[in-house]
Amino acid sequence: MTDGVANLDDRLAVEVRGLTRFFGAVPALAGVDLEIPRGAVFGLLGPNGAGKTTTVRILNGVLDATRVDTLRVLGHDLPEGASEIRPLVGVQTDTNLYDRLTARDNLSLFARFYGLDAAAAARRADGLLDMFGLLPRARERVERFSKGMKQKMLIARALVGSPQLVYPGEPTAGLDPEASHELMSYIRTVSRAEHTTFFLTSHRLDEMEDVCTKVAVLAGGVIRAQGSPAEVARAAVPRVRVRVTPAPGAVLTARMLLALPGATGMDAADGTFLVDVASLSAVPGFVRAAVALPVDLLGVAEEAPTLQEAYLALVGTPSDDAVEAAR
Amino acid sequence: MIRLDRVRALLAKDLAETFSTAQIMGPLVVVPLMIIIGYPVGFLLALQSAPGAVDGLKDFIGSFPVSAIPAIPGLTSAGRAAYIGVVYLFAGFFLIVPTMVSTVIAANSFAGEKERRTLEGLLYTPLSDAELVIGKIAASFLPAVMFAWVCFAIYTGIVDVLGAPIVGELFFPTANWWALMVLLVPTVSLFMVATVVLVSTKARGFQEANAIGGSVVLPIIGVVAAQVSGIMVLSAEVIAVVSFAFAFLDAGLLWVIVRAFRRSRVVSYLP
Repeated sequence: MTDGVANLDDRLAVEVRGLTRFFGAVPALAGVDLEIPRGAVFGLLGPNGAGKTTTVRILNGVLDATRVDTLRVLGHDLPEGASEIRPLVGVQTDTNLYDRLTARDNLSLFARFYGLDAAAAARRADGLLDMFGLLPRARERVERFSKGMKQKMLIARALVGSPQLVYPGEPTAGLDPEASHELMSYIRTVSRAEHTTFFLTSHRLDEMEDVCTKVAVLAGGVIRAQGSPAEVARAAVPRVRVRVTPAPGAVLTARMLLALPGATGMDAADGTFLVDVASLSAVPGFVRAAVALPVDLLGVAEEAPTLQEAYLALVGTPSDDAVEAAR
Repeated sequence: MIRLDRVRALLAKDLAETFSTAQIMGPLVVVPLMIIIGYPVGFLLALQSAPGAVDGLKDFIGSFPVSAIPAIPGLTSAGRAAYIGVVYLFAGFFLIVPTMVSTVIAANSFAGEKERRTLEGLLYTPLSDAELVIGKIAASFLPAVMFAWVCFAIYTGIVDVLGAPIVGELFFPTANWWALMVLLVPTVSLFMVATVVLVSTKARGFQEANAIGGSVVLPIIGVVAAQVSGIMVLSAEVIAVVSFAFAFLDAGLLWVIVRAFRRSRVVSYLP
């Protein structure tokens, strides 16, 4: 192995090229490429049936690819290296807990699978239960737990082996806003402090935009876009807008705004104006001209496209060519 | 390399789940106890209280070869009936009991995990394929054999208390029963468990695995029927030979299961 390859292995937690998976004649994945740096919080977005679960299964060696050029996780090639990566990985998928076991037993069981002895496994279980606010109920069977508590248990279970790479699947489903916020903060903190890589799948695009350092949109079996949430949004939504908010009582008209340099169109709602500008490079000139208007303003700022807008733009355009090319 | 600590953890989890599931344990305890307590107690008490009833069993007693009953001084017709009933008639139940227990527990353990959507979580852990399969098989095999041995101990007590006075001496357990319990019950149970686990990797749920696995019981029921009717009286030597044949089958089946088990195959049959 060359130094260059070694460095690349060290830098990337996941490296995938040309990943294709058919179920019968149906392509679930049609040439997926992914690069996820170590320590990243990565979000794989896509509609139901897009192939997110299939991707996670293949990346964990529990499902075989039909065809792939490169499939490397934490420096190990798959599927040969599946047994090497499993101790380094924690997966939270849409599965169930053992309802008839207690919360502590559910977690310590999995800790045992990760090589901890009984005493260490119990300590690890209690530590995680404490972190998720469930320690007082450690001795209760989880069948009595609420959906949110079970969700916390599933996340705790994925963390029980102190993994280098964690796959939380819809991690905040069923959680109240406080718990969701805490979990996202935890993910952000651990990824920075311990260089743990998170590979999230979720439909909560606002959360993904907030927590992810990188996202990819999977639809029709192919990656439509990947990069930072801002990069993906900017690439998928070419429309450039500037929000202009007049001060209360100020008289600002659509005609005044459309006369400014770069303005091409406008929407007005709730006392603010959303002005379409020809391009990103035209925004500074428009802003300068807007603040020079003889009108009191509360604010003038570019309205960056959101991940949700990008997602809707990307998943609504099936790429039959890509699917056909994968055959 | 198989790590026994991980296998033990999986085994302990499965046993805890099995023993805490009333739907599984209820039938598993009630039906066998009815068979191994109710039938022999009723039979032996009937012989004690109404020895004349043996007259109606003359043809049945006559169908058993003379060599099947030892020469016990002063053995009465009721004693012969008691001996045949205790040693041969009920022996088959002790094959059916562990077979039934192992089938139900194995189907619940593997296919049941699929149905309850807990199996996929296990597939992502560092458990190797061999550890997963061995843990699952052990978790069904051990309770089945232990349960059969507990039933055997209870049965021995009943026979010694109620049967010995009719036969005229303490005669139980006989050599063929020792062979049955020590050799045949474990090997047949392992065969059943391995078969159900093999079926379970493709079955989508408990009922499907239980139904398919249960069909393997049919030849065993045939052997039991032959034994009961006196067509085939299994001596200790015959039982030992049959047990070794099952042991050979078990080894082959386990080899096939461990070699053929693939997480990807199991995942593709998840509901």
